[in-house]
Amino acid sequence: MWSAHLEFGIKRVLSALLLAGGATLPAVAAELPPLTLGLTPITDPRPAAALRLPDLDEKGHDLADLKGKLVLVNFWATWCPPCRREMPSLERLKQRLQDRGLAVLAVDVGEDADTVFAFTGQLEPAPTFPLLLDRDSEAMKRWKVRGLPTTYVIDPRGRVIYRAVGGREFDDPVMVEALSRLVPGNQAAQDR
Amino acid sequence: MKSGFITLAATLHALLAGNMAGAAQTQKIDPETGATTWETRVQGVTFSLTQIAPDPARAFYLNRGFPPETADRYATACVFMTVLRNDAAPGELRFRLADWTVQNKIGSRPPLSVDTWMAQWQSLGLSEAAQIAFRWAQFPPEQEYAVGEWNQGMLTTGLAPGSRFDIIARWLVAGITYEGKLENVVCPP
Repeated sequence: MWSAHLEFGIKRVLSALLLAGGATLPAVAAELPPLTLGLTPITDPRPAAALRLPDLDEKGHDLADLKGKLVLVNFWATWCPPCRREMPSLERLKQRLQDRGLAVLAVDVGEDADTVFAFTGQLEPAPTFPLLLDRDSEAMKRWKVRGLPTTYVIDPRGRVIYRAVGGREFDDPVMVEALSRLVPGNQAAQDR
Repeated sequence: MKSGFITLAATLHALLAGNMAGAAQTQKIDPETGATTWETRVQGVTFSLTQIAPDPARAFYLNRGFPPETADRYATACVFMTVLRNDAAPGELRFRLADWTVQNKIGSRPPLSVDTWMAQWQSLGLSEAAQIAFRWAQFPPEQEYAVGEWNQGMLTTGLAPGSRFDIIARWLVAGITYEGKLENVVCPP
């Protein structure tokens, strides 16, 4: 059984995501706050709130359709520095674990498709998971998000089992190992 | 509503057990932007403020659809990028910005609240997109962080550019209040 808390660690990330013409929050310090590791267990897992949103091409996505997979739901915005910094690691994580049943949904708050498209085009690797638009922030409210970024881990039964408030290095070996234990094909996940 | 969220007894306990232990305050100046960051670490929690000068703050909100005079009002209200991070506290922490104190020679009060700003934007008829961006760009009015959790967001004191002040952040862990104090912080000029 995976321990209640992943071993906490920090990793200094001095990325070059400082401002360009007010595009992001003015993160003016040269040394940005470190992205962290670890997931916080939800002590009483409950079914996830509804999440039905369009992507950049207006195609609808429904979290309920992903039952049977381990799903990361990531709330973010293009102007949020830690959101920007963690996004490539989310894609790398997806590439590592998608064949084992991991899916990712990124929910942008309050922005339009052009803005999100322009930003994600700069990323390496660019996200291949659905980028959903929560234009009126109603999904954020339903999910009781209080700050960006916030990520939830939804188990194959559709329950919220972990959360991560603040930016993460999702493809750090600690995170990959922890999530590997939760993907559908893993015995530990079946025992939960 | 304060309603026992922070009790005198708990505060005294924290003063004895936590902040009085002598939390060091560091100060760094970014060579590129000239912005100063003040940081302290108390009982496994890091608290920092980084100056956001009026120009980048104004640019950010202009890009989000704020009219120039409205962006200006916010950008000159002594804006800081605020980070609170639970690195290794003895448990999950929770806080409310309403319990924090900004103090100078004149007096003390909490940081300006997000609700106060939002009420202004609503009365001015700002677009929904602008209001949503504003709301989520601010440091959360209340939040809970397990170990490893953190947020980064904007916070305003409302003091004049160049003003000096102390700020005390307060958070609860297992019913005990801890304080992180930054002294002699300077509003962006």
